[in-house]
Amino acid sequence: MDDGALFQKYRETGDVSVRNEIAEKYLYIASVLAKKFAGRGVEYDDLYQIAALALIKGVERFEPEKGVKFSTFITPTITGEIKNYFRDRSRLVHLPRSVSELRARIRDAAEAITLETGKHPSAREIAVCLNLSEEEIVRAQEAGSVVSLDATVGTEEEGASFHERLAAKDDGAIERIENRDALEAAMRGFSARERALLELRFGEALSQTETAKRMGVSQMYVSRLERKLLERLRENMRKGMAE
Amino acid sequence: MKELMLLKVPTAGEIMTTVRLATGGLGSLTGLGLEESEDCKVCVTESLLLLRHAGYLAASINFCEDDGLFVCIMGEGEIVNPAPMPEDEISAALLEALAADVKTEKREGALYRVSFRFAR
Repeated sequence: MDDGALFQKYRETGDVSVRNEIAEKYLYIASVLAKKFAGRGVEYDDLYQIAALALIKGVERFEPEKGVKFSTFITPTITGEIKNYFRDRSRLVHLPRSVSELRARIRDAAEAITLETGKHPSAREIAVCLNLSEEEIVRAQEAGSVVSLDATVGTEEEGASFHERLAAKDDGAIERIENRDALEAAMRGFSARERALLELRFGEALSQTETAKRMGVSQMYVSRLERKLLERLRENMRKGMAE
Repeated sequence: MKELMLLKVPTAGEIMTTVRLATGGLGSLTGLGLEESEDCKVCVTESLLLLRHAGYLAASINFCEDDGLFVCIMGEGEIVNPAPMPEDEISAALLEALAADVKTEKREGALYRVSFRFAR
């Protein structure tokens, strides 16, 4: 059965097996596109999953009567989903440590400049902000060997992610968090809203923008509150360790 | 439009990382955001792949500053064993999805020039 007939059958019957047959036929496009974006700090498997989901959504939305080939239609659709993922979800860092730290600094600087100017900063702007050369910024962006910031660092029992540690990279107390009990103790007295913010940002690993949308506030508000909460956590941890 | 760099490179896969690094550097030089620089790298790579499949063993890449980065990639030398691939269609759609002002030109029925732009 050719594509036209398959899409026609799916439109008429809504049969999921037909949709899946179409999706499987074009799954190679999801794979190809995931590979093309895999060098940006997100693992191929994650991108492939996103691309495959976008493919299925694309099958639902495709209108063959418009005369465009499905492969032509689906490529920008999948590309858009992948780019959205980069913008909204990626929390990644390169290894080794020196590169990972630089990546984190670049990310922080980029966020700060974006908040200030309202647009994505160039490597030059970030270089000026971090007092580094443009080449160092570009090289760090290009470097391979990446891991998810949400990956667990150390033993499973410790349970801390790269992100949790990097978020507190200037924070001597939080770096000494050994388990979640200590964290919970430090969060006593936090309001439901404050806990929700931390849960969205560090539990669900949402971006500040996404967190703001979920909470119905501005990104600036999230940024400020997050900074204050991390300060309070640090202070509470200091007190906890002193007791 | 100010010419920044003209590279003549083989379209072989092992040269792609070098080209990507150069593209990233020029993206920085012309003030592109990091995201746009990454997209530009993809577009340069895809263009080289398209030209390789069209039978070009080498290509020239002309990078120009024009309120961002304008890139023009042309096949160089004789066409040898052209082997269009099904993925070429994806490459073309990807270029359209990522870059602005994407233009392709053919010579004697075969692709020989790709150009596109990334705004600052």
